[in-house]
Amino acid sequence: MRCGCVALCRGGVTVPQRGWVWQYLSMPDSAANGSASANGTAPAVELHNISKGFPGVVANRDISMTVERGTIHAIVGENGAGKSTLMKTLYGLHQPDSGTIAVNGTEVEFGSPSDAIDSGIGMVHQHFMLADNLTVLENIILGAEPATGGVIDSREAARQITELARSLGVEIDVNSPVAELGVGQRQRVEILKVLYRGAKTLILDEPTAVLVPQEVDELFENLRRLVDAGTTVLFISHKLDEVLAVSNRITVIRQGTTVGTVTPAEVTRRQLAEMMVGSDLPQPEPRTSEVSDRVRLEVKNLSVSRPGRRDLVHDVSFAIHSGEILGVAGVEGNGQFELCSALLGREHSNGTVAIDGKDVSHASVRDRKNAGIAYVPFDRQREGLMLTSSLWENNLLGQEEKFTKYGFVNVAAARAACREVISRFGVLTPNEDVPAFALSGGNQQKLVVGRTMSMNPAVLLAAHPTRGIDVGAQAAVWEEIRTARDAGLAVLLVSADLEELLGLSDRVIVMFEGSVVAELSPRDATPELLGSYMTGAKVAAR
Amino acid sequence: MKLTGRARLMVLFAVPVALMSVVRLWSGEDALTSSDTIGASLRLSVPILLAGMAGLWAERCGVLNIGIEGMMIFGTWFGGWGAWQFGPWVGLAFAVVGGMLGGLIHAVATVRFNVDQIISGVVLNLLAFFGVRYMSDLAFVGQPGGGVSQSPPQTSAIPRFDIPVLSGGEVFGWKSPNILLNLEERGWFFLSDLAGILHGLTHNLSWGTVIGVAAVPATFWILWRTRIGLRLRSSGESPVAAETLGVNVIRLRYLGLLVSGGLAGYAGGILAIVASSYYRQGQTAGRGYIGLATMIFGNWRPVGVLGGASLFGYAEGVKLVANDAISTLFLFVALAAVLLVVAAVVNRNTTRGIVTTFVAVVAAYAYLAIDDVPESLTQSLPYFATLVVLATASQRLRPPAMAGIPYRRGESH
Ligand SMILES: Nc1ncnc2c1ncn2[C@@H]1O[C@H](COP(=O)(O)OP(=O)(O)OP(=O)(O)O)[C@@H](O)[C@H]1O
Ligand SMILES: [Mg+2]
Repeated sequence: MRCGCVALCRGGVTVPQRGWVWQYLSMPDSAANGSASANGTAPAVELHNISKGFPGVVANRDISMTVERGTIHAIVGENGAGKSTLMKTLYGLHQPDSGTIAVNGTEVEFGSPSDAIDSGIGMVHQHFMLADNLTVLENIILGAEPATGGVIDSREAARQITELARSLGVEIDVNSPVAELGVGQRQRVEILKVLYRGAKTLILDEPTAVLVPQEVDELFENLRRLVDAGTTVLFISHKLDEVLAVSNRITVIRQGTTVGTVTPAEVTRRQLAEMMVGSDLPQPEPRTSEVSDRVRLEVKNLSVSRPGRRDLVHDVSFAIHSGEILGVAGVEGNGQFELCSALLGREHSNGTVAIDGKDVSHASVRDRKNAGIAYVPFDRQREGLMLTSSLWENNLLGQEEKFTKYGFVNVAAARAACREVISRFGVLTPNEDVPAFALSGGNQQKLVVGRTMSMNPAVLLAAHPTRGIDVGAQAAVWEEIRTARDAGLAVLLVSADLEELLGLSDRVIVMFEGSVVAELSPRDATPELLGSYMTGAKVAAR
Repeated sequence: MKLTGRARLMVLFAVPVALMSVVRLWSGEDALTSSDTIGASLRLSVPILLAGMAGLWAERCGVLNIGIEGMMIFGTWFGGWGAWQFGPWVGLAFAVVGGMLGGLIHAVATVRFNVDQIISGVVLNLLAFFGVRYMSDLAFVGQPGGGVSQSPPQTSAIPRFDIPVLSGGEVFGWKSPNILLNLEERGWFFLSDLAGILHGLTHNLSWGTVIGVAAVPATFWILWRTRIGLRLRSSGESPVAAETLGVNVIRLRYLGLLVSGGLAGYAGGILAIVASSYYRQGQTAGRGYIGLATMIFGNWRPVGVLGGASLFGYAEGVKLVANDAISTLFLFVALAAVLLVVAAVVNRNTTRGIVTTFVAVVAAYAYLAIDDVPESLTQSLPYFATLVVLATASQRLRPPAMAGIPYRRGESH
């Protein structure tokens, strides 16, 4: 799997500097050259007293930490604790207000990501950094293109990428535009992007939020191999089991500062969570619910087709009753997104959809929404938020009618509604006027989920509702969903997190290549069994 | 039925030619496919084509360029002055430099100072318009044949040539046969029309034109095959993603706008040096804006821009060479629209069917009922075609995602 990267470094010929255009045309592939001068024992990364503030918030306060070479070092903490901010500082995306960074024992100052890249650092960002209209191949090679005399060697690039993807157990068409990919594929492209560069220090900011356990295992097997060869991995995740399983060290950040570094052997999951939150974790009571006979969402023979391709959703039928949560398991990209889009009326489909007994098969998105359907999107930034608009405007989205009188928005009421969501879902923010991009990833997610829940829907389509949300807040969101369920809500829950899926659902269906291949009760569904259905290894008669 | 690649291009070319042949035999009007018309169309297309390419380079790197008209004005003035002083080749080089100057102004305003891209472009157009008047006052007034609104005539021109064998060009003093002209004069169905078109494209060619057309393959090759091209496109598609991978978006936007300006300047140079032999005020006549229309028509791709520019150039060419033939052009449009209606029905595309039916009816009415077509109507034909394309193909248009949005460094969220 390293071969891709080795091939990249081959062109280490030095070229005389003749202005920057020349540099672009003939630049030797610089990835991974940075640590050539590494001295044998120095830590891969040392952060000394880093502080970083934004208007109205101190995101990082006097943070110091050391990351040893050849280790997987996890960073955990609540939403808004400052993890992403710290990693962005290390990657040169912004500069710290104070403090110093040393890489391989040498003090560095990163004015831009290209400086960090030159020092051998690569990063998978919490939110996708992809160009929609460019192909998978172009997105992956951008900035580290294999080229002869400035002309891109696409065939060589395609070969390297395909090989790399295969080692990750991923299948991907390198020539399709990224616009056509779902969140799972996008996440895989992001991971391929950083592995392709062959960086010596990898920063992974929540790379696994939408990946199912098998995919996570494959990823970590690969990372292990890299780490054995001397690579260092900095890894952020809210899935604490995952963190305890793979990392050598764990640093906990709380309210912008480090509270300690531990080894996985020293702590339990619960202790780790308590270190993050600083108090006891809320422990939601597992509850059995009363599923009524009333069918709220009925789907019959639903198919979504694309000319010349296999159906994206193939002949799917199910019914969800009032007070019931139907879980959808599956590897991302097996029709879950298209199923939700079709139910929302965003995607042309065949078959029938009825909400509360009313046929909405041909209704518009708006009519379906008015019939009581609501949606927590797969990708909060693409489908859920206007990043540069304020929180209250974002919260208003989709419920303008409720807050409009005589054609004017009742701003005071809209703000109050947003404040209500902020306090009910614990969104960490100075006020409702800040733009959405100023929230941490998990807090953006809380806002999106909170907005959807505050609409009091009859049917909820929830895709990865707790993606990026920390353990404490996750329990709170689950509790919200359960409470609404008990009050009669019907939920279609798409999730890659098996704990969430099995813990919440009353029934689970498995999607594979657009079809429902199994229906199980969560009591019988072991992770192994689900896994074999999700990968198509096992096919059950329904 | 889905045709791919080359086969599709062949059909796209052959069907209209056959249709024109039908129109010619039906109406007895030769001008639609005569080599004179096509030759004029080519000459008139090239400035539009280059303006379109200028737009493409700018928007591909992420900056809207309304200022192409102004950069072309710089091109005409500097080209006209340089050609008058130092001969036509130096004139063309000056035109490019003049255009790049405009590109640089636009870049400094929009990339460095984050001025609104539309406003900067409009200001540039005004600046160019009044600026060259002032410079003419300094450089041309008092010279024989010169004045505030025009330069003295140039004394030499860019050489022209015919392609040997096909169109009777000379090779080492030997006068080769003129096969295409011969064929054209026979009046055969399809073959003579094809020959007329090819003859128009292969005789009496100016080197200035040839270099201009070469911008199409060159642009394609650079933007879609080279490292710098990928990086430049990524600056227009997702500057944030590009920056996180170490791409210097700011520099690439400067580069894109310099190339854009250079192309626009060359387009102006062609107008002042190849299409005429002196600089004249107002020589660009809005071609910069037409170029932007061809860029949209061509879906921000070089070959598409070539198609759009040909369309606009052809409409102008027919008007210039054979104004009477314009009504037959409506017959052609009507027939073509009928074919498209059939295609839409086969593909069950309702919108397209309605739009093309409407076009067919209007064009047929225009052909049958109007004897003397008002000039304004014929001039608007290509715009109308662009609108039809937008109405029917807008879902498939893929403009660069971040064109028009200012980018400040380190502003990734
Ligand atoms: N661009 C910005 N402008 C203003 N404030 C910001 C900006 N980016 C982050 N913040 C603030 O800094 C704090 C830390 O955010 P950060 O994204 O680092 O959190 P995090 O630990 O990554 O959380 P999560 O687990 O939710 O991703 C938050 O309070 C956030 O609101
Ligand atoms: Mg984060």
